[in-house]
Amino acid sequence: MNDSGSLLQVNDVSKVYGTGHTAVTALDQATMSVDQGEFVALLGPSGSGKTTLISIVGGLLAATSGTVTLGDIEVTALSRKDLTRFRAERVGFVFQSANLVPFLTARENLLYVATLVKTPKKAAQQRADQLLEELGLADRAKNLPEQLSGGERQRVAIGRALMNDPDLVLVDEPTASLDTALGRQVVQLLRREIKDRGKTGIMVTHDLRMVEYTDRVFEILDGHLTHVESPSTLGH
Amino acid sequence: MTGPAALLSRGELTRTKGRFGAVVGALALIVFLVLVLGALADGLFYGATGAVRSTNATAYAFSADAEGSLIRSRLEQSDVAALAAAPGVEAAGPVGVLLTGGTGPEGDVDLAIFGLDVGGPGTPTTLVQGRLPTSGEVGVAAVDTRLQDDGIDLGSRLSVGDVSVEVVGFVADSAYQLQPSVWTSVEDWRSMRDAVRPELRGQPTAINAVALVTSAGADLSAIAAALPGSAVLTAEAVGLAIPGVEQQASTLNSIIYTTVAVAALVVALFFALLVLEKRELFAALKALGSSTWALGRAVLIQALIASILGVIIGAIIARLFGLIIPATVPTLFRTDTLIQIAVFTIVAGIVGAAFSLRRLARIDPATAIGGTL
Repeated sequence: MNDSGSLLQVNDVSKVYGTGHTAVTALDQATMSVDQGEFVALLGPSGSGKTTLISIVGGLLAATSGTVTLGDIEVTALSRKDLTRFRAERVGFVFQSANLVPFLTARENLLYVATLVKTPKKAAQQRADQLLEELGLADRAKNLPEQLSGGERQRVAIGRALMNDPDLVLVDEPTASLDTALGRQVVQLLRREIKDRGKTGIMVTHDLRMVEYTDRVFEILDGHLTHVESPSTLGH
Repeated sequence: MTGPAALLSRGELTRTKGRFGAVVGALALIVFLVLVLGALADGLFYGATGAVRSTNATAYAFSADAEGSLIRSRLEQSDVAALAAAPGVEAAGPVGVLLTGGTGPEGDVDLAIFGLDVGGPGTPTTLVQGRLPTSGEVGVAAVDTRLQDDGIDLGSRLSVGDVSVEVVGFVADSAYQLQPSVWTSVEDWRSMRDAVRPELRGQPTAINAVALVTSAGADLSAIAAALPGSAVLTAEAVGLAIPGVEQQASTLNSIIYTTVAVAALVVALFFALLVLEKRELFAALKALGSSTWALGRAVLIQALIASILGVIIGAIIARLFGLIIPATVPTLFRTDTLIQIAVFTIVAGIVGAAFSLRRLARIDPATAIGGTL
């Protein structure tokens, strides 16, 4: 744990693309902290910097300045190689379009990430089966992604994100390719999984209807991150 | 096999069969082509050089102006003794060569007549049936097995001009310039030569070359020095000096190497496209913590398996094709050549696929999320 007691601590993180008069500031001194067991939303229009922020938090992108710490790990100080391992072990990603491996079954998609952290085969299989069961996909385990519906695919992606028991789950526009009802289902499920397991979750979205499932909301506009008190204060 | 690369490559190979079928098919056709070319190259080479490869001679002495050609060389019977006395020579024997047409039981045949002191240097070592003539025996010959296709059997008579010999044995792999050889005494050879080349009559002591059995590490130039106006070449060099042999081999080999390079290109393009097409997926897998090397290994495993399958299928088609090639086309399917071409193709496949690793390394995991900015 870091000084503040939060699991995730983002301090004065900036990201500048380019140099000189062509420089673009995508993220300007963002500061946020998220506790363990919290599920927060990151709202903002496209191009606002929300993707940049979670990419830096998730160890996908280097910050220009500032620090990110997750538990006792200073993410912004890790080498490229260590970042790869950090992502495999400590971070779960749910992408906009599930991005499952098309030629692996639902179960194999979960097992794949287990191989990245060298989980023993038996243990990995048990965990994959258990997760698929919880996500209501037990009877779809042997199906390829193309045989699954959009909602089912996103549920497999959630299972994959949780497979290696990460501390942090980063979710990028999970409802972008789903209708409202299905989107709600998926986000509800995400919330339940994150809460039940005591994970920390950040969901990037521009869909205000989804924020009611989160504990707190951060808003980002032109690279400036602000904390909105609670979802209910957002105007509808 | 439970690593990430194994899981990915197994899944992709077994579940996208059609696509891999295409690259395996392309490789199989290339391997087929290369193997048939290889068989042709070997057929020409072995058919041209059998008579100097399949004997006990380790070197041959020629007249210096012959440039290693048995046909062009002119020596005298007395030169044999001079060379036999040279340092490093264990035995020496006369060789007379005549490329000519002859007549067998079923009609005209092309022949390469070799006259020698049978049993001495230059004697074929590949007897497969019957016997060789004995030293000093005249009127008999051992012949190349290829003549069996012309209806010649043990006891058959072969004639050249008005001279005929009885076939007493068969030797394998002994053709010379693609003509089946006839191994007989110097006397019989000389009678045949006189019968078809009247201008050479009256040279009763002329021979073409001297076959030598040399001791290991013998200095060939020192041997040549024992007979002024002579040159000595190893048996292998004599094979290559046969007109056309080296040229044919280098022409066909360059076609073979080019074709193998095409195989590398086909595999390189296939995997480059595959990586390009899966850029988004690879970015996501990298974001999830896959290293470039884990993904690269999956690509290499796939290339290895596709190349091996291509080689196996190509080899089977080539062998089947070999069964229907007319006997007049000199082809020889050798296991050595097959292994060599198989190794080349598999290495080419892996090298080709390796080119896509750079592209793979450049895929940025950050692109898996949103639009980066």
